[in-house]
Amino acid sequence: MTEKKVLLSPLDPVHDIGLKMIKNALEEAGHTTFLLPPDVSPGEIVQEALDQEAEVILLSRTLGYGVPELMGRFVDLVEGAGIRHRVRLGIGGMAIKPELAAELGFDQGFGPKTPIEEAVAFVEGRDYVPTREESGKEKGDLVGERTYRYHHQEIEGLLDQIVEKTLQWYRRVQTPGIKRALLREQGQAGQASYLELSGESIKEFFASKVLPSGLRLIEGEEQQALEKMIAGGRVEHPRILQRQPHQPLVFIQYGTGCPFMDIAHIKGTEAWGADGVVHFDPSWGAKTEGLLAGLLSHEENGSVLTAENLALIKEAVEPSTLWQVRAHRGLNTPETVFLAGEAGADLTKINPVYGSLSGGTDPERLLADSLKAMEYAAHYGLPFDMPTNEELSGVPAFRAFAGMLIVTHLGLALGAQPVLQPLFCYSPEMMLGGQMEDNYLDYNAAKVQALRGIIDAPIWAGAPIGFLTHTEERVQSAVSTSFHAAMAASLDIEGISIASADEAYSGGPISLPARIDTLQGVGEAFRFLGSARMEPTSRAREWGEELTENILQVLREVARGDSLLDGIYGGLLGTKKEGAHPGRNGRGTVSPG
Amino acid sequence: MVDAKSKVVDALDVETFLICSSEEEGRRTAAGLMQSMGFNDFDLVYIQQEGIGARVRLRAYVNRPGDRYTWLEGGGPND
Repeated sequence: MTEKKVLLSPLDPVHDIGLKMIKNALEEAGHTTFLLPPDVSPGEIVQEALDQEAEVILLSRTLGYGVPELMGRFVDLVEGAGIRHRVRLGIGGMAIKPELAAELGFDQGFGPKTPIEEAVAFVEGRDYVPTREESGKEKGDLVGERTYRYHHQEIEGLLDQIVEKTLQWYRRVQTPGIKRALLREQGQAGQASYLELSGESIKEFFASKVLPSGLRLIEGEEQQALEKMIAGGRVEHPRILQRQPHQPLVFIQYGTGCPFMDIAHIKGTEAWGADGVVHFDPSWGAKTEGLLAGLLSHEENGSVLTAENLALIKEAVEPSTLWQVRAHRGLNTPETVFLAGEAGADLTKINPVYGSLSGGTDPERLLADSLKAMEYAAHYGLPFDMPTNEELSGVPAFRAFAGMLIVTHLGLALGAQPVLQPLFCYSPEMMLGGQMEDNYLDYNAAKVQALRGIIDAPIWAGAPIGFLTHTEERVQSAVSTSFHAAMAASLDIEGISIASADEAYSGGPISLPARIDTLQGVGEAFRFLGSARMEPTSRAREWGEELTENILQVLREVARGDSLLDGIYGGLLGTKKEGAHPGRNGRGTVSPG
Repeated sequence: MVDAKSKVVDALDVETFLICSSEEEGRRTAAGLMQSMGFNDFDLVYIQQEGIGARVRLRAYVNRPGDRYTWLEGGGPND
């Protein structure tokens, strides 16, 4: 490499930081540099190039007005000075388009975000070969070092009592969902014994091979085209959103309705920094006894849960991406977790309380099914989270959290790894009381403080964060998610589920660009905060203490009762007045085991 | 030549500010804009009238979940 004399000058009244960084890199590489200050005229720059016998001139321009004229005049001056043949001209900066620079006679133009190494390569007259290092992205770990030790002994004692009674009951019961899961384990899914325990639409599907209305089987050329796309669409350098180890893993929920579109969204969001993706199926997998089979697509909320759909999606998910298959609300909960485990999922979601109190499945049925599902989760090593989205119906957080802690303790008793999922939202209970009119931070911080004061368990806020704060306006929506992500980072929680910028739009499916909007926003929030923290006011502590006291009261009442189910049906974990309506699907299907 | 529209993964959003005297006028103008671009099946995702006009976001779905995707027929990202 020959040492070069390089003149660097901003063609700009103010900005020169980029050139200063390039100057340092050039000097480190052994070149001689001359850096002029901002606001020097083109004529003065050319004179300096003559005086210093510069071999390369690097200019920069940030401000966007009059740029082509200025660039053209500069090239004319260099030619007029008779040095164009021995000087290489480069220009870069926010206002520069490489095509325009070439058109106006520069040897090279550098657009925004040009790596410094590229400018050095230009000076040295060599081709720039991007040396993108492996991003080194590794699969995240939600549970990490959390010990599941209780800090609140009375709550632990009450949970012991509730769980003991509940597990005694569980050992004595059976459900069609549990029986089907056992049959599926034995490879009998879709066979006569399985269909006896399934709904009419599932029976018809297997008997006649005719798909229920709205569903479409994907096969042949379409399938081959997708497999080709998956093979060519690996994400080699996914963005890493987090800047600090304490910043939470970021999950998106795909569920477009079609496994192919799911895969397009998964690949797009992985590249833009999603650490985890969530599969959910609120229609077929949740509402009907029994599961369909095959590669199935439909235009509805969520994606059809079949072994084939899961296998195809698993093939597409990057090794560094956490993949959750949700199972918490429906009539196929044990089968879903079994399928998730077999398909190689990393996480699942089980919550008999929320899943049975906001409509949906009957509490008795879902509790039995969920306990079997927890056994599968333990067997396959799938941590499961439990959302407390009943808050959205108006159930106060303390009741929802009491339910979440009971489910946590049940999971621990069955050998699984539960993950707490408080809702980071504009809580309806607080909306009515007006306590969140001042900020969204204090009450959500109080939730985390209360939970952390009770048990050392992982926390994955959801779902999605910022619920009820989003509007149809794209920027507002992404910014609100980003602030909630910054809050999550400030509270040292392990994970967050984020909405897309389409969260409040109900006119059509969520678009991939809308998912990327919020990933971008969250990345900026993490960059903005770094190791700094948002600070709640003193109200967070007061509300956290109040929450803990109220959770304790609820658990005392549940423990005093005959059973957890009595507590659920009786409104201890959410009353009808508050918006908790026990679900009816599957009622009367629990039998002695 | 590849039909660029066929490579749109799902939706095409058009964002702009329309000079109009009311939100209603903005809606009509927005509809005309999309139709002039050849989109008859579109949705007004967001409109807000402030001052001299309306901030709007319009959306046309090129591929909806469950469709036979145009980008799949043309092959994947390496094609």
